[in-house]
Amino acid sequence: MPTAKEPSRDQSDQAAARQVTAPLAAVTRRRFMKGVLLGSAGLAVAAGGTFAVLRRSPVDQQPVPEGIRHLSQSEYHLFRRAIDVLLPLAGSALTPVAEVPVLANIDAMIGTLPAHIRKDVASGLMLFDNAAVVSGWHGRRFVDLDDADAVAYFDRWSRGSVIQRTMNTVIKQFVYVSYWRDPKTWPPVEFDGPVSDRWGIAYLGNAPLPEEADA
Amino acid sequence: MRAINMPRDGLPVTTARDMARDESIGQQFTLKTEVVIVGSGAGGAMTAYELAKAGRQVLVLEAGRYHPSSLFTEHLGDTMTEVYRDQATQFNTTADVLFAEGACVGGSTVIGACVMQMPPDSLLRRWETELGLSNLAPARFKPLLDEVGKEQYLHLNEAHEINTTAHKVIQGCERMGFSWKPVSRNVRQCALTGHCLAGCPSDRKMSSLVTHLPWAVAHGARLMADTEVTRVLISNGRAYGVEAVVRDPDTGRKIADLRVEADVVVAAGGAIQTPLLLQRSQIPDPSGQVGKNMAVQPFVQVLARFKEELHGFRGALVGVEIDHFVENEGYMFFSALAEPEQLMIQGNQGAGADHIRFMKSYKHLAGLNAFAIDEGRGEVTWKGGLEDGRKVISWNPSRSEFEKLKHGAALAARVFFAAGAEEVFIPSFQQISATSVFDLDPALDEISYGVRGLYSLRINSFSAHGTCRMGVDRYQAVANARGEVYDVKGLFIADASLIPEPMPSAPHWTVQALAKQVAQGINQRSRELFLS
Repeated sequence: MPTAKEPSRDQSDQAAARQVTAPLAAVTRRRFMKGVLLGSAGLAVAAGGTFAVLRRSPVDQQPVPEGIRHLSQSEYHLFRRAIDVLLPLAGSALTPVAEVPVLANIDAMIGTLPAHIRKDVASGLMLFDNAAVVSGWHGRRFVDLDDADAVAYFDRWSRGSVIQRTMNTVIKQFVYVSYWRDPKTWPPVEFDGPVSDRWGIAYLGNAPLPEEADA
Repeated sequence: MRAINMPRDGLPVTTARDMARDESIGQQFTLKTEVVIVGSGAGGAMTAYELAKAGRQVLVLEAGRYHPSSLFTEHLGDTMTEVYRDQATQFNTTADVLFAEGACVGGSTVIGACVMQMPPDSLLRRWETELGLSNLAPARFKPLLDEVGKEQYLHLNEAHEINTTAHKVIQGCERMGFSWKPVSRNVRQCALTGHCLAGCPSDRKMSSLVTHLPWAVAHGARLMADTEVTRVLISNGRAYGVEAVVRDPDTGRKIADLRVEADVVVAAGGAIQTPLLLQRSQIPDPSGQVGKNMAVQPFVQVLARFKEELHGFRGALVGVEIDHFVENEGYMFFSALAEPEQLMIQGNQGAGADHIRFMKSYKHLAGLNAFAIDEGRGEVTWKGGLEDGRKVISWNPSRSEFEKLKHGAALAARVFFAAGAEEVFIPSFQQISATSVFDLDPALDEISYGVRGLYSLRINSFSAHGTCRMGVDRYQAVANARGEVYDVKGLFIADASLIPEPMPSAPHWTVQALAKQVAQGINQRSRELFLS
């Protein structure tokens, strides 16, 4: 009998990335929406550019760790901030973020995306980060918002336009899927994960032929 | 005399890797058989068994990979990666409705939740009297259903198969005066792992992988995986085989082009893949209905948080159904709770503290899936050429379907509140919950139809059907009452696409009985159909 095997990490990352970015892929398949996304991203940068001083962020100077292969510098910092904001685990019994390679998982998932979706994800992330300068009059990029403002920003985008709702969903799903797919996160919520081996469940094999079962 | 060699474990399947290793197989090869069956799920496996048992030479071609049960890890993410169609990203055009489907030897039966529902007598009578399909009259069709039930080890869930999520549903129903019953499932000695959707590693789920496929093989049928049929070969109004491409499932690399010559072709790829195959094959289609009339049985999942710890993810995945609304209002409800990673994909999550609160309460959650019978307006289309085309699944809820689903979510929420829920989470793309029954209507009012119901409710579909409907009028239906495609002799359909109209029950059982009937019909006409 063959023994259990897991799909390769790349295949698993690819599947997760496809699920997470599916809403964005659908939105940008429509030419009009793609135009809106690219236009909005450009506009956000331009508007932010008007307030160039406000657009600068201290994190722009911080390096990206060596292991990160697919995220750009600004994307890395955006996700790092998103993880802090979306998974405030300090003081809870849940598995600390430090014990789960959330950013590395996101980076790997991003690396499996086809080029055209990757480009749309980049535009969407740029829009999400820069639009905070003008959207909600924060006067700062998302990466520089304090925790309360950042949560409020997510909440506002969850009720916004189709593109805002989509990017809110995509970013949250990248973060949450990258965290919760790791079996280390399951014991604190008492999810058992795979149990058949642990419980010693017997393997029954194929069902007997109906004519045999009748006999 | 034929020897019957029943495999006790696994299946002898020829895979792309086997073909790549075989130097005698070139980049193009041809096989001859009496019957070629496209697809190895509920319909294809049943047809293969019935025809092989009758002594026919049967070859089953499956586009997906062969994933033996013993390789299942009980990690839903792994299974989705390997055996779900498009790695569980088969969406409608607007990517807000997921069409989950198995893409492996055994098809969707491998990843199903084991729910088996008998079509109501009233529906069979309607199909007989109003649609003229006498083959579906209760007197003729129910004996087939009974036979399938026996083959599938069908039984009503016993007390130990009803978990805490299901008990909350029962409690709510009792207080609301709604009728409920244990779900009927095709499983033998269920191990209560709760991992049905990730495949059953101990072969207790009666999927085609452990029933009709090994039985077909025992009677001499052959199986090939990683083999995608691109078109049916048709000449002078008669099907005479198929063309297929064999690909390595991991790399996508083409291994070979295959041509199969056969007297009978059976399309059994399911309600989404079969019409695509017929469209690529450019069948005559006098009705113009190929790919149309798709019913999707859309469903939404309502979650509820209770004060007590439930661990509602433990035990049999689906315990009970609410059958109170099936006949008059067209709703089905099934208890079930997803695993954490899937909750992240399916439900809208709050940001920060909200999300942490939600997940900390995971062991306090119960889930109820509300299925609505839809109008059958969906469509599946192959766009572009044979080589470079793509499938397009068009279905968004109409305003009335949207309202119906919303009402279904409200009913599910009321059941949970009646059972004592402290908070109910509404399945929408916004983060909406209600903490009492009095907050429910205002909360639901926040979800508006908007543009084509786009990104409003979180909708999924597991059971599309009706895309090549059976009927007695060749200008209204794709296949006749024998399942044979109009104007293409020797081409049969044996899957959910045959179902004549939207049905108010899970279609698995009906599909298997239909496939059995189609196969028996082929056997009865063997002198006419089998030229060799």
